[in-house]
Amino acid sequence: MSKNFMVLVLTLVLAGYYVFVAVYLNNMGYYNQESLFYIEKGKIVFDGIGQRLKVIGLTAPLFPFYATFVFSIVSEQLSAVLASAVGTAVLFNIMANAIIKRLDDEFYVFFLLGIFLIHPGILYAACSGKSVYLILIFFFLFYLNFFKFYLSNTTFHVSIASICLVVLVFCDYKFIWLTLFFLPLVLSISIDSLNLSEKESVFRLFISFNNPSLRRKLINKTFAMYIIIFILPLVSVLIYKMLNLTHAADLNYFIDSPYATWSVMAEKIDYNVLLDTTMHHKLPEAPIVISTRMILYCPMILVAIYLYRQRTYQILTLLTPFAFVEFLRIKYDKVYLAQQYYLIFLILALLCVVIRAVTIKEQKAFKIMLVILGVVQIYSGYMFLDRSYVKEEQTFIRVLMKKEAPDSQNENIDMANYINALPGNPRLLIDDGVAYPVAAFIKNVQGLIMPYEERFLSAVESPGRYASYILVASTKNPANGYTQLTPKYLQILRTGNNKIYLEKRFETNDWILYKIDQH
Amino acid sequence: MSLDIRDVLVQDKFITTADKDRILGIASNLGQSFIKVALNFGFISRKNYERSLINAGYPLQQIREEEFDRELLDKIELKFAYEHLALPLRIENGKVVTLMADPTDELFIDFIRFTFDMEPQIIVASDLDITWLSHKLLGDKYVKSAVYELLNRDPANSAIITFTANQLLFIFISIGLIIIGLFINFKIVSIVLNVLMSSFFLIAIVFKLFLALVGSRFELFQAVTREEVRKVKNEDLPVYTIHLPVYKEDKLIKKLIWNLQSLDYPREKLDIKLIIEEDDDKTLNAVRDLDFPAVFEVIVVPFHMPKTKPKACNYGLHFSRGKYLTIYDAEDIPDTDQLKKVVALFAKLPSNYICVQSALNYFNRGENFLTRMFTLEYSYWFDYMLPGLDTMDIPIPLGGTSNHFKMANLLELGAWDPFNVTEDADLGLRAYSKGYKVAIVNSTTYEEANNDFFNWIRQRSRWIKGYMQTYLVHMRNPVKLWKKVGWKGFLGFNFFIGATPLTFLAYPLLLSVFLFYVAFDLRFIRELFPDWVLFISIFNLMVGNILMIYVNMMAVFKRRYYELILFAIANPIYWLMHSAAAYKGLWQLIVNPFYWEKTNHGLSKVNNPTNVVK
Repeated sequence: MSKNFMVLVLTLVLAGYYVFVAVYLNNMGYYNQESLFYIEKGKIVFDGIGQRLKVIGLTAPLFPFYATFVFSIVSEQLSAVLASAVGTAVLFNIMANAIIKRLDDEFYVFFLLGIFLIHPGILYAACSGKSVYLILIFFFLFYLNFFKFYLSNTTFHVSIASICLVVLVFCDYKFIWLTLFFLPLVLSISIDSLNLSEKESVFRLFISFNNPSLRRKLINKTFAMYIIIFILPLVSVLIYKMLNLTHAADLNYFIDSPYATWSVMAEKIDYNVLLDTTMHHKLPEAPIVISTRMILYCPMILVAIYLYRQRTYQILTLLTPFAFVEFLRIKYDKVYLAQQYYLIFLILALLCVVIRAVTIKEQKAFKIMLVILGVVQIYSGYMFLDRSYVKEEQTFIRVLMKKEAPDSQNENIDMANYINALPGNPRLLIDDGVAYPVAAFIKNVQGLIMPYEERFLSAVESPGRYASYILVASTKNPANGYTQLTPKYLQILRTGNNKIYLEKRFETNDWILYKIDQH
Repeated sequence: MSLDIRDVLVQDKFITTADKDRILGIASNLGQSFIKVALNFGFISRKNYERSLINAGYPLQQIREEEFDRELLDKIELKFAYEHLALPLRIENGKVVTLMADPTDELFIDFIRFTFDMEPQIIVASDLDITWLSHKLLGDKYVKSAVYELLNRDPANSAIITFTANQLLFIFISIGLIIIGLFINFKIVSIVLNVLMSSFFLIAIVFKLFLALVGSRFELFQAVTREEVRKVKNEDLPVYTIHLPVYKEDKLIKKLIWNLQSLDYPREKLDIKLIIEEDDDKTLNAVRDLDFPAVFEVIVVPFHMPKTKPKACNYGLHFSRGKYLTIYDAEDIPDTDQLKKVVALFAKLPSNYICVQSALNYFNRGENFLTRMFTLEYSYWFDYMLPGLDTMDIPIPLGGTSNHFKMANLLELGAWDPFNVTEDADLGLRAYSKGYKVAIVNSTTYEEANNDFFNWIRQRSRWIKGYMQTYLVHMRNPVKLWKKVGWKGFLGFNFFIGATPLTFLAYPLLLSVFLFYVAFDLRFIRELFPDWVLFISIFNLMVGNILMIYVNMMAVFKRRYYELILFAIANPIYWLMHSAAAYKGLWQLIVNPFYWEKTNHGLSKVNNPTNVVK
């Protein structure tokens, strides 16, 4: 059996395993905000009425949505988890192929397989339906091509790295900040490429800055490298902002609007540091300490750094994600770092092992060390998820390991079931900015009047003329402050000259469904 | 009895005895006269030769106005006259008045005696004048062959007919349908056209990015390594023909010789032809006035329409003797090891590879805005696009120069189409459709980038017109083309040859719609862009532009021309210039399809050092 065929078979088996676990978790009732958001938007695109192209173009992050969208053909409800299961298997395939190209030892493939089979973080990426798998794929490809560039010095690899960074940014916008930490790296590469007898980087920098010709060369090359690497991601973001401006009258619609992205609401409610610290007094992830947490989560990254000792670029490259997460912690100080920012260290460490394992003479000792570190990481992966500050991460591991059926979406499902059971396909006014977890479970999307439709505003003004039901967020709903459809709005309707009568039909902790009767 | 001119040259110390023996050896191998070899293989300059002739009592005569007898001329073959630099003109006073560059050439004198049974009356003249007159008087059948050979052998591939009846029908019916559609429902038809154009642009650009990435992947791949070049033995090298078609390039002749002398190839195995037009006295006189030895033979193309470079090259083929052939422009500076690399590559490649294209780039890239933009464009085209096409097995539109052919296969293809003003692109496709392949070699020829706006427009309008011509010729029967070149070849041809002029023609229209929309927010434009169309259009505008800018940046990054990288941003302006040239080309295609817009060379003030490859 050829190695390529073996990897293909393992990938297929792994994909089947992930799909099985994902469907099992789904049946147990595990859902998360992100996957529900994609499911709901997918339903709009396939079954909705009105400006669906805008939903396709302005739903963010783009690529995870499109990936989920593709699997909607198989099953709308399972599309997100199918995408993540298959996507993570693809990640395995890419990494395993990188191994068999470089290493003539099947141990590494099986070591990788072991990590992919039981590492809780990877299982979370594969079976949660979140976009973590896409982030990991393009993070891996970005760094892989960067390392290839160091070896080959070809424009091809640096361009591919740049394209991967573009996709990465459109999988998770926060990765745009990664560009900041490549600035010193690029300067270091340029200094090193100058034809100087001096070996020490600091003195090379000194010499090149004090010689007009060398200075010009250094500046030209550094600038050119910045442009080649970063112009695509930066301009892509700029273009996307332009599209947002022309179609939503807001440059930052894709990151600020709850109609465009799931993270706006999630970060205000589920990922919010302030909520936890004020309510539960948990010690949040502190800056500086966060790097230590990453090393504890993935001690193999230390091996990666060791493998590249005495290689300035590569060490600097390995340090960029540390600087990146530290920056995220400061920049987004109200939000916990989600699992993907931990997993990138695991992927990076594995990448370094893939590239550099061949240089190790004591293979046996190295393999034993890898196995030990692998086991430690699986344990730390479990612990980090189990003690995660993000509720849906914690829920995931509890459903998986302790078979504790989560109740986070029960109310939404109950509400959706009630709406599904309403006779005669009635029209329902619903704000999917906050109520997308309900909309995701509603079968007939055409019966919903949502903000992406032009008639939504008119329906909010005079609901009686457009809808026969209205879903409002109860005062207990944590998203209550982020939607117009609240009890306060109903109060205004009642006091206004709308001549409508509202009858409460179904109520959960978070939602109240009213029937509208117009007199 | 007068001295043999060979001895005079030795006596005058213009050549050594060893040189004389070497010249005799080469002359005997080639079947040429002693003086032809001496003057054309870098042994003696024409000025020195004239001095020796005068010393020996043979002053040069002006012969262009000499009378001639057609019947007598019919008895001599042009090639014989050309190789011996001698020409019998008429019979006068019982003698054959004969022009000779070497009045002591016994072989030719004997030829006159045996052929006409008379003694020759020798008029000593400059070899260049004799060459000029012999081609003018005897070159008729060769020039006719140069013009009509392809037309006679393969009329379907000749651009002598620009638009066929079916093509005209198709064009007018399409225009008619669009106009009728616009009258019936202006808005819908405009939107459809708009979306079609935008989508076409985007697909073309994404495809180009893809090809550039494929091409860039192999940027470290060396078709021929230095080691392989070193292993090439001089004695095994075949004769290599170099065509230098020039027109009024008098300023460049000296540079040309320096560049040619730098080529790492045995001198006697080079068959270099400087091909000039009959009315080009400027270049002829520049060659005459050289005060150092020339390394090329001059061929004069007799007057015949169309006056194009492919016709001149076709004419030159009749006098070429190489196994391989390449074309350089007068200002070209090829890598010194280019010919050896090509020989080594041909030896490695399967026999169906009949052409090897070298990369082209510019030595005066930093001169002004135009030369910088030109460098960006060429770096992208030759370093990424062509290798990309090559890898994807899509027909390669050959570059104007530095394409190296196997002579036998070139002749089999019918050589260049004299009616096509981008004969190179046309030939690339013809070769591909006959099952032949083109390879790319890792060697560069540095040219002079056009640094003058109007000169640039002239040159570019010819290129774009040529692309239109080539497209029309090969799309006379699209199904047949599809069958010949396969779907990849067909799509590649449509995207590169067909789409190029079309995109340049459409670009200013789309841009003006956009600018009017931005500046005036005109209602009727707004109606043509409903939200979803606006979405697609803005995406196309932004993504299309940035991708094209990016691939240009990639190419100069590869060449390490870091200082040019930001100029890629100016591409939208550069494309507007292309559009101006495209409209000029379109106009000429209709009113004057075979007119060859001459590009002036030698305008650059940048010094062009020879590109020695060690």
